[in-house]
Amino acid sequence: MVDFYTSKKRLLSLFVVAIFLLSVIFLRLGYIQIIWGKQLQSKASEQWQRDLPVKAYRGDIVDTNGVVLATTKTCYTLYVRPKSVVDSEKTAQILSGVLQLDYTKVLQKVTKRGVSEVTIARQLDNSVVEKIRNENLPGVYLSAEGIRSYTYGNYLSQVLGFVSVDGVGQTGIEAYYDKYLQGINGQVLTDTDLVGKELEEGQMSYIPAIDGLTVTLTIDSTIQMIVENVLKLAMYQQNPISCRCIVTDVTTGEILAMASNPGVDLNNLPRDNLQELMQYSKNTLVTDIYEPGSTFKVLTAAACLEEYKNGNPKAFGPQHIFNSAGTRLIDGSKISCWTKHANGKHSNQNLSDALNTSCNPIFTDIALSLGKDVMYKYLQAFGYGKASGIDFAGEQGGLLVPQSAVTNGDLARIGFGQTIAVTALQLCMATGAAVNGGLLMKPYLVKEISDPTTGKVVQRFSPTVVNRAVSPETSSQIAQMLARVVKEGGGKNAYIEGYQVGGKTGTAQKFVDGKLAQGKYVSSFVGFFPASSPKYLVLMIVDEPQGQSYGSIVAAPYAGLIFQQIIDYKNIAPLE
Amino acid sequence: MKTQYKSDYIILIVVLLLVTIGLVFVYSASMYNAQVTYNNRYFFLSKQAVGALVGVVALVFCWKIPLERVKKLWVVSVVLSAVLLVLVFVPGIGIENYGANRWIGFGSFSLQPSELAKFSYVLFCAVFMSRRDMKKFGNCLVVIAVGVAFCALIIAEPNMSITMCMAMIMMVMLFVGGARWKHLFLMLFPIVLAVPLLILLEPYRMLRLLAFLDPWASPKGEGYQLIQSLYALGGGGWFGRGLFNSIQKYRFLPFSESDFVFAIIGEETGLVGCLIVFSLYALLVIRGVRIAVNCNNRFCCFLSCGITSVIAVQSLLNFAVVTGSIPPTGLPLPFISYGGTSLVVFMAAVGLLLNISKNISSTNIGGFLWII
Repeated sequence: MVDFYTSKKRLLSLFVVAIFLLSVIFLRLGYIQIIWGKQLQSKASEQWQRDLPVKAYRGDIVDTNGVVLATTKTCYTLYVRPKSVVDSEKTAQILSGVLQLDYTKVLQKVTKRGVSEVTIARQLDNSVVEKIRNENLPGVYLSAEGIRSYTYGNYLSQVLGFVSVDGVGQTGIEAYYDKYLQGINGQVLTDTDLVGKELEEGQMSYIPAIDGLTVTLTIDSTIQMIVENVLKLAMYQQNPISCRCIVTDVTTGEILAMASNPGVDLNNLPRDNLQELMQYSKNTLVTDIYEPGSTFKVLTAAACLEEYKNGNPKAFGPQHIFNSAGTRLIDGSKISCWTKHANGKHSNQNLSDALNTSCNPIFTDIALSLGKDVMYKYLQAFGYGKASGIDFAGEQGGLLVPQSAVTNGDLARIGFGQTIAVTALQLCMATGAAVNGGLLMKPYLVKEISDPTTGKVVQRFSPTVVNRAVSPETSSQIAQMLARVVKEGGGKNAYIEGYQVGGKTGTAQKFVDGKLAQGKYVSSFVGFFPASSPKYLVLMIVDEPQGQSYGSIVAAPYAGLIFQQIIDYKNIAPLE
Repeated sequence: MKTQYKSDYIILIVVLLLVTIGLVFVYSASMYNAQVTYNNRYFFLSKQAVGALVGVVALVFCWKIPLERVKKLWVVSVVLSAVLLVLVFVPGIGIENYGANRWIGFGSFSLQPSELAKFSYVLFCAVFMSRRDMKKFGNCLVVIAVGVAFCALIIAEPNMSITMCMAMIMMVMLFVGGARWKHLFLMLFPIVLAVPLLILLEPYRMLRLLAFLDPWASPKGEGYQLIQSLYALGGGGWFGRGLFNSIQKYRFLPFSESDFVFAIIGEETGLVGCLIVFSLYALLVIRGVRIAVNCNNRFCCFLSCGITSVIAVQSLLNFAVVTGSIPPTGLPLPFISYGGTSLVVFMAAVGLLLNISKNISSTNIGGFLWII
């Protein structure tokens, strides 16, 4: 028989083991609860709460006078958490009634299993939402969201740009200033059970969203509208593939209007046709380059006068009479004027006359006489060959033949705006610098970023001088010469009595696949007023007009229309 | 006529405290789920309260019944347990739940035979071992045979955890009964071999084994239960979130009112609350061991030892599972976890313990247990 004492000894030893094990588990428990606890808590908090994002209001884009151009409209998404619905039939009935949806489909969604949320309807406006709120249905939730809305869907579309479906800026101002417009999303945290059902005693914490900032453009919506309407007219009358126009304030570099036709309707984007969307939403005035043609002669003329003033013996004075021949032979290649020099045409001209008639050989003479070093100095001074630095994504810097590689033939052609490719914006700024007293300004589209709630300006953009291009005297001379071009020369169609409009026309043949394309022209006119103290500058470009192609006929009249309407809008009194 | 001493009222008080704690935390852990599922937050509490009342009756009955009669009941008890364990598989009587046949029931009444079987086996062992010389291997084999038979029936349900519990009790009984060391080691072999075999039969057991080592490897699968248990305990800190303030009970922690109720206790009362619960169990075990050690007759010694070890083994296993110290397995915490059968059977067993304690003089304490 077993010794009874052995049993008791064994029992006691087991007891010691048990107490030891209990102590080990207690230590483990202490480790879990005290040391590991914080970390476990933070891991667990993810499952304890459901968060609903509170979308920040995307900031408005307004014009220089505060007219709202892009805003965010609040609309609502209605969704259901099936687990929280109490009476699914009644809920489905009310929802289908108010939203005018099929009852069985709504019921299906309301009773759907295995999902935490089902969306019933999107983009609901306030009146519908009010009705549903009044019903006070458990398990039915509304979340507000912002839909981008543009006051003038078709106007300024390439500049404003658009946002993605999620409200992220994709192009234009919407993209460039996205971080300011976007704001910071907030969230609502709700205590829920495992399947996302809200707890009755649960807490709700609310982290408010910080609204996006208001972006104020330099654009004047009235001038923009004037321009857009004129472009429509030009499209109708000239039937080109496109028309483009920039209006700037030459004293500051502010862009007052920037338009291209055809464009897109920002409120109704062809999102499913990517090619069309990209083609028409592109701001080609900034992102594309073209050969400017005769409008470029302003630079050559300004360079010549400035060098003459500075005593450069190779420069020609304003009284110098140029060779009247209609062609020049440069390194064996012949350069002709746009028109035959017969019957005294283009004879005995000085610089001002040459601008009037847009006589190519004379500008060839100037460019060659000044030489490539001087010409390239002025190209640089007028901002060519590099991006202007406008606050817009995708700007191009244009194409210049490298100074080391430029031939006499190239230099001669550059003198009248060929063998060089520029953006429309560069031409505007350069022409502005030639007439505004000689300062190259940095163009800009946004003048202010401000907080919509406090009205406080967060950031202000002021006019920036890039560099001095020519002296005030030269600038004033050029402005007067260009005023004569409009009064008597090729820019006659933009003339307005009493307002000293100045300008220069341009007609350049288009290059397609590296070859001159027959019958394809870019006709343009760059003009400004008043010549005694220039402020408004307009560049009008008509791309491949049908029929007539001369800038003087195809582009200048529309610039004139724009000037006239700006005069009316700003109520500007005549000078003479 | 033997001398009758005072019953061990400390055991009674501790058990009643544990049952009360059980009622409170079964309610706390289950009220949300009960409200959502049955639209009655007291659903589990009321069933548990009925269990507690029946348990009190069973406790008093076992406390008062002459021990000689209990001794004679062993055959009935073993046969009844075996029959009930078989009935689990009879369609119409057995109830399938979570893919296992662990219950039998009629109408709203249901019963878990394996809970009863553990104590029937303990009773059998106590009676058998008190009469036979356990140094003889043949006698050990009898004890093993009955134990293995029960284990086989329980593992067939399947119920791995109670089987393990049962096997451990078997080892404890043989050890305390006085089996020779070499015999004990001989028996350990098949048990050690059985573990890989059981895993091979049901591969999910291996997954569970791995899940215990790194629950975050499969947070939505095998590791889920343990992660949720750790989240509950981790939320407790020193003093807990406060009574009824558990977050994990919002259906995050499955079986929060039954096998994992201790995690909710840890979450709501913290390490301090856990220490109190641990102390109550330790006290109960100490008092049980004290009775066993001081018994004058072998039957009473083995019976009280068996009952105490069932309580000790099962609570230790439960604590170990909830704290992630061993692979997760479902085992109710005695007196506290939701489950009527378990509660009634454990209270009845405590009744027997109290019954035996009447034979012990408080002055007749030997060994180092005199302090208690």
